[in-house]
Order: sequence, then structure tokens, then C-alpha cells
Amino acid sequence: MVNARSKRRSYLSFVLPAFIIYATIMVFPLVFTLGLSFTKWKGFGPIEFVGLQNYVRLLSDPVFHIGLRNNILIVLISVFGQIPLGFLLAYMLHRRMVKGAKLFEIMIFLPITISSVIVAQLWNRVFAPVGILPTIIRQITGNQDYIMKIFESKDFAFVPIMFVLLWQHTSLYMVIFLANLQRIPESIIEAAKIEGANEGTIFLKIIAPILAPVAFINSILAISGSFKSFDLIYSMTGGGPAHFTEVMAVYMYNTTFVFQNYGYGSAISIVIILFIVLAIWLTKVMTNRLNMG
Amino acid sequence: MKNQSRLTMAPNSWRASAYIIMIFFTVITIFPLIWLGYSSLKPNAEIVQHPLALPQAPSLDNYIRAWNLGGLGTALKNSLIYTCVATISTVLLSLAAAFGLAKFPFKSVKFFTWAFTVGLMLTVHAVIIPLFLAEVRIGLVNTRVGVILPYIAFNLPMSILIALGYVKGIPDALIESAEIDGAKYRQIFWSLIMPLSIPVVSTIAILSFLQYWNEFLFVFIFTTKKALKSLPVAITQFAGRQNIEYGLQYASLVIGILPMILFYIFFHSQLMKAFGEGALKE
Repeated sequence: MVNARSKRRSYLSFVLPAFIIYATIMVFPLVFTLGLSFTKWKGFGPIEFVGLQNYVRLLSDPVFHIGLRNNILIVLISVFGQIPLGFLLAYMLHRRMVKGAKLFEIMIFLPITISSVIVAQLWNRVFAPVGILPTIIRQITGNQDYIMKIFESKDFAFVPIMFVLLWQHTSLYMVIFLANLQRIPESIIEAAKIEGANEGTIFLKIIAPILAPVAFINSILAISGSFKSFDLIYSMTGGGPAHFTEVMAVYMYNTTFVFQNYGYGSAISIVIILFIVLAIWLTKVMTNRLNMG
Repeated sequence: MKNQSRLTMAPNSWRASAYIIMIFFTVITIFPLIWLGYSSLKPNAEIVQHPLALPQAPSLDNYIRAWNLGGLGTALKNSLIYTCVATISTVLLSLAAAFGLAKFPFKSVKFFTWAFTVGLMLTVHAVIIPLFLAEVRIGLVNTRVGVILPYIAFNLPMSILIALGYVKGIPDALIESAEIDGAKYRQIFWSLIMPLSIPVVSTIAILSFLQYWNEFLFVFIFTTKKALKSLPVAITQFAGRQNIEYGLQYASLVIGILPMILFYIFFHSQLMKAFGEGALKE
């Protein structure tokens, strides 16, 4: 069976290059991250095994808690902000409720092309002392001494970041919903109209259930994306001031690459992965529940 | 699509809110960019005194200084190298893998497909520490290869799954008849699969290009030399330092944004299609 053997060889020559790059760079290091997370290591000298000590330390690390809280806020703004808003925008565009729908679509989708770190700098300029927002507020209130203090507030420092996330990603979900809306036959909407359904009913009772699976896929994208958040926040605030805007990934970066604490940083990495897996699993369970009920 | 009858018209209340929301979104999207654009043409003193006003005497001074001081020419060249090499490699590797997984009847197909699917959940942060240590050890830190390889690896799972869905749809009969004609699989890949897959190749290429162009973390961590920085990293580091010279900062940001706006002007419909389709799969 020389033929079968050469066929197998061809098959492997197609699949293996991609698989080897993928496995070497993404899969094997994961094992080392896990291993390092049980150690204490400064990047040189002997590696000290410390068992679960890093994980125990995370439980009582206030900075990590702020990071986790902020990551959860990002999940919430994604799932309950970006996705419903994206859906609403897509529906309005699809039903041609505005003239020039295509132009609006193109304008609103534009931020998707701009690098997160540059988006961050741009919005920092909007919120900066000589930026757009404080200037507008000064002109409206007539108070020339107004200074924007939102970034210094423990409770509200994260609000501008959430706004920028909404700005940056809503249109992605809009485009995904729009592509799927276009696959729903117009006749379904027509039939509902003839039976006297109003726009709200069509939106909530007919279109929304059809697109529930799409919303589910979007939620997975959003949740795993939320726990990965790094570029935007690192570039906008670096997690500061006083860690008010910390997220897990930024904390992991600083712990590892700035403070050379490889073991503790690895433990944070593993926890990020666990949260992603957990969140995806939860979304799946909840969606199954909803479909059953 | 244009023959919408009066019957399907949405009620006025919906149409009015639609206008409000659309205009609001468009304004908050476009206004900061326009403001950045015209502000970058103002000298620093004017920016500080009249943050919102149009430039009195528009000038490209900020651009010339930012370009030279920030080393943005080098960064632009690096970005082009990283992005193009990685995009072409991703397209070839993922289409080849998809061909293997879609059209060859071996048991390991299931395992490989599963392995790539798991990759969708893995994130950069899960592996960046050992990857950095490994690159230091084998001397890949501060090289272009050390940046490009992780770029490709992290994009492969998604690209392969997109390609797989498409290649599966190519009729087996076409491949069988080529086999009977005595064509080698390598030839079948280049002269049959590749031309038939142009639509999915362009989807993968556009998505990869966008992602690689905007990639930040790998260059940021794996390179320390200025000569290897990509545009997003060079601009972040340059703009981050300009706490007084707003003009320089604005100009460098525009330099970072402009290439992508040009890309968007040419490819926006393909880009929307690619993002829309990417999520249809599964």
C-alpha cells in the first residue's frame, strides 16, 4: 500500500506545519505556566517550589480583587451593554429606519480598525485637562476652573474605560447581528405585520428568539475577550491611579515583567484562563436552561 | 432589497429613536477623530488655549517633528514587515491545514480539529511568561521571527476553523478526478484548492492583516530595541511621553490611525462581511 502511505505523508505535510507552530507556541507553554504558578522565582537563580502559596496569596490580595471586580464590570458592560446595543443598532439598520443606513453603518464600524492602544490615547485626550470633555463642560457650566477628576475617584475611575469599551466594540456585534438578520426571510416580518404585530413585538418576540444563538456566540466572544482586556487599559491608565483601574491581565503583566515575580504572575495567568473557561461554561448552561424553559 | 413596501415601514416613534441613536453613535465615533485631525495641525500653545477651536494657521510642523523624534518611519516599516509576512504565512498554513483536515480520511483528523478548536479559548496571557523565557533562552528575543511566530500561532485556530468550513464545501469529486489524472496532492492544493478558496482566503487575509497591524503585546514584551518596534508600540511609547507637547502627541496618533482608515475606505465591505461570516461559523 505505497499509495496509502504517500497519501498519509501528504496529509501530514498539510496539517503538521500549522499544528507544530500552534502546539509549540500555545499548548506546551501552558504546561509551564501551570508549573511556574507553584513556584517562587525572580527570573534567575534557583526555582523554589511553594505549592499552592501563590493561589492562597491571591485570595487576600486587594489589588487582585480590584482587578477581578473590574474584569467582571467589563463582562457586564459587554454582555448587557455592547451586545443588546449592537442588536438594536443592527435591527434599526436592517429595517431601514433611517435614511442612509449604509453610511451610518460604515461610520459606526470604523473604530474596529483602530489599534486599542491608539484608541486609548485618543480617549485620554478627550478626558484630559485640555481635552474635549472638560472644555465642553467648562463652556456649558461657565465654570472656567472646572477640572475633570473622574480618574482620581476610586468608584468612578473605571467609568471612562467602560465607555470607551462600549464605543470600541458595540459595532462589532452590530455587524455580526446584521449579517444574521439578512438571512431571516422578509416574509416572516411581513406575516407578523399583517397579523397586526407592532414593531416592539416583532423585535422582541420574533427576531430576538431567532437570533438567540447568535447572541450566545457573541456572549462567548465578549466574555473571553473581557478577561483578556489588556491593550486598552494598559495604554489608557496602566491600572492606575492607585490600582483603581487594574484588571487581571495588567496586574499579571506588572507582576511578571516589571517586578520579575514569575511564579505569582503565572498564578494570575492560570486564574484568568480558569475564569474564561468557567464563564463560557456558565453561558452554555444558562443558554441550555433558557432553551428548555 | 430596495422594494420595501409601505407596509413594512417601521412606526414613527421607532424611526425617530433610530435617528437619535444613529446620529449619537456616529457623532461620538467621528467627532473625536475629526477633532484629533484638526488639532494636530495646531501649534501647542493654541491647543492649550483653545482646545476645541479650528486651527488658525494649519501647519504640518507637528507631523514632521513627531515623525523624526518618534522614529515612526522605522516603526511603519516594521509594521509592514510583521503584518505582511504573518498574514501570508497564516493564509498558507491555515488553508493547507484545512485541506488536510477536510479532505483526507484519517483518524487523526478528529484529534487535530479538536486541538485547534480548544485553541480558541487559550489566551496570550496563558502562555506569555514561558514563551518569553523560552525566547530569551534560544535567542529569539529582539528578532523579527520571535515576533512573527507568536502572531501566527495565536491566529491559526480561528483561521483554520474558518477555512475548514469553506474547504469542506468543495466537492470531493473534483479532487478525485484530479487524483485519477495523476496529480500530486501538492499540485491539487495549489491549482485546485487555492483558486477555489479565494473568497475564504481573502476573509482570512483581511482579518489577519487587521489583527496583526494592531497587535501590541508581543512586540511590546519581546523586543527592547527601538529598531524593531511596530507602529502601535512606537506611538504608545512616544505619545505617552508627550505630556506637554500635545501637538506632537496628536500628530503621532493621527499617523497611527491614518493607515487603517485608508485600509477601511478600501476594504470596509469585505471587512464587515468577514466579521459577519466569522461568527456564522460553528
